[in-house]
Amino acid sequence: MINEVTNIVVETLPQIQGYVYPNESNVHPVWSVLIVIYPYITGLVAGAFIMASLVRVFNVKALAPVYRMSMLTALAFLLCATLPLLCHLGHPERNYEVMMTPHMTSPMAIFGFVYAWYLMAVLLLELWFDFRQDFVKWSKTTPGFQGLIYRVLTLGVTDVSEQSVRLDMKMEWILSIVGIPSAFLLHGYVGFIFGSIKANPWWGNVLMPIMFILSAIVSGIALCVFNYIVLTWIRRKTVNMRCLDAMAMFLFYALLVDAVIETLDVLHRGFAAEEGFAVLQTMIREKLFYTLNIGQVGIGTLVPLLMLGALQLLRHRVPEAVRRTMIFCSGAMILFGVLMMRWNVVMGGQFFSKSFRGVMSYKMEFSGQEGWLLGAAIMCLPFIILTVLVKLFLSESEQLQPCEHLPENSSKT
Amino acid sequence: MLPFKLPPQILRLVLVAMAIVGSYFVARSFLVPPSFGQYGWYRGAALAEIASREPVFAGKQSCDECHSDILHKLAKDAHKTLSCEGCHGVSREHGNNPDILPVKSTGSHCIRCHEANLARPTWLKQIVVKDHYGPKCTECHLPHQPTKSP
Repeated sequence: MINEVTNIVVETLPQIQGYVYPNESNVHPVWSVLIVIYPYITGLVAGAFIMASLVRVFNVKALAPVYRMSMLTALAFLLCATLPLLCHLGHPERNYEVMMTPHMTSPMAIFGFVYAWYLMAVLLLELWFDFRQDFVKWSKTTPGFQGLIYRVLTLGVTDVSEQSVRLDMKMEWILSIVGIPSAFLLHGYVGFIFGSIKANPWWGNVLMPIMFILSAIVSGIALCVFNYIVLTWIRRKTVNMRCLDAMAMFLFYALLVDAVIETLDVLHRGFAAEEGFAVLQTMIREKLFYTLNIGQVGIGTLVPLLMLGALQLLRHRVPEAVRRTMIFCSGAMILFGVLMMRWNVVMGGQFFSKSFRGVMSYKMEFSGQEGWLLGAAIMCLPFIILTVLVKLFLSESEQLQPCEHLPENSSKT
Repeated sequence: MLPFKLPPQILRLVLVAMAIVGSYFVARSFLVPPSFGQYGWYRGAALAEIASREPVFAGKQSCDECHSDILHKLAKDAHKTLSCEGCHGVSREHGNNPDILPVKSTGSHCIRCHEANLARPTWLKQIVVKDHYGPKCTECHLPHQPTKSP
């Protein structure tokens, strides 16, 4: 008895402040860390793809060295995008049923269509057309199991004539054009999941899909910066500073637009001060103080904005090594800040009572289905997949070279 | 002869796509449970499975068969609307075989309703447990006659 009383009195009740309906005083929110990771990973996919599209669609040749790495990053993360959801649902013995019975009547279930379209019709196809020439080349020169993989990936087409390669380029260009709205759809959809919940003032907001898309672009570029620097460091190569500076520039502008839109959202909410605004103020000042003000705004936005902004103004006066370190730190901080943004959105919407007069707390557990250990494991998995993909498809000699079959228009940067 | 010939890589992709879609539909025919969609977007057989479960609650009338004296006391006091099994736990097995005792009720059942909470109506008696005397509610209160003292 004492234990049960202790659980309720010592653990549950101190986590509640103000007027909370009895059926809301649950220690564990319905959505927790896994649902935080899910939009984070899909955002990284969409962002990495959009960065790659800068090369393919907008002819930004300075970014060509990271084109393939960005695409592989998008693929590695997309392969893991459904994992947090499936782990959250539980029942691994019947996880396939959700994919076998697709339907359009539930906003959640529409993700199956969005995901399948993006993976099968956009990303894999574009990657295949981009790598096809190399698959043919590698399948002839690589022995053993790895050679077999390349032979399978050619799908039996060994034609690399000029006409055939030109068709590949055309297809890639078309797929990139289709891919940009698809990437927006992928992550805009995730924002819509939250934005469409009109009963919750923290979520129900038409700006939500736009904020999700912008933060996705920011986090995707930051991830590519991070991966590029880490990869060159592991391979003991020199960083292509023209490429890194171009990434830093796009990162700065994307972050600036993202910060402005999010600030507009806050100002709009403050000015409108609709029902429930008081509880949102409590959230910002108390419940989400560290993750929002320090994590998302401070570490994830203001410091990187200052660092990247300073680099835009004083690029030629800052030594390369310092510039590299500053860009790397900005990328890492932005990645952390966007994760905090996802946390604030997902958890923030569950921290206050439907009465708007009380707030709840949540302490993440270590192990278990919703523990941070599983969250960390799921976050590590795309990096492991990416390592394999890089090992297979991004040979050291080609890593720092622009793709061979780029459109021939002039660079814009 | 065809007037338009598909380039080899496109033709191969079309074939692969057809194979993927085809294998999806084949897999679907095996993996979707047979009764899926019978009544709606769920497994129809689930209804019969749920209905076939043995009930675990006995109901107040079963308790009245042996414990009518307690139920008489209960009916005259503030807890008259409460179900016996709300505090004593599921008791169908105990009803069938009196040797199997129900789960012993504890103080956590009391504070489920009586711990102070702003959201509760004010007419409901509420206490802050940590400021309240005693480790055991029944030292001072009779759960079956809450307005009387032991």
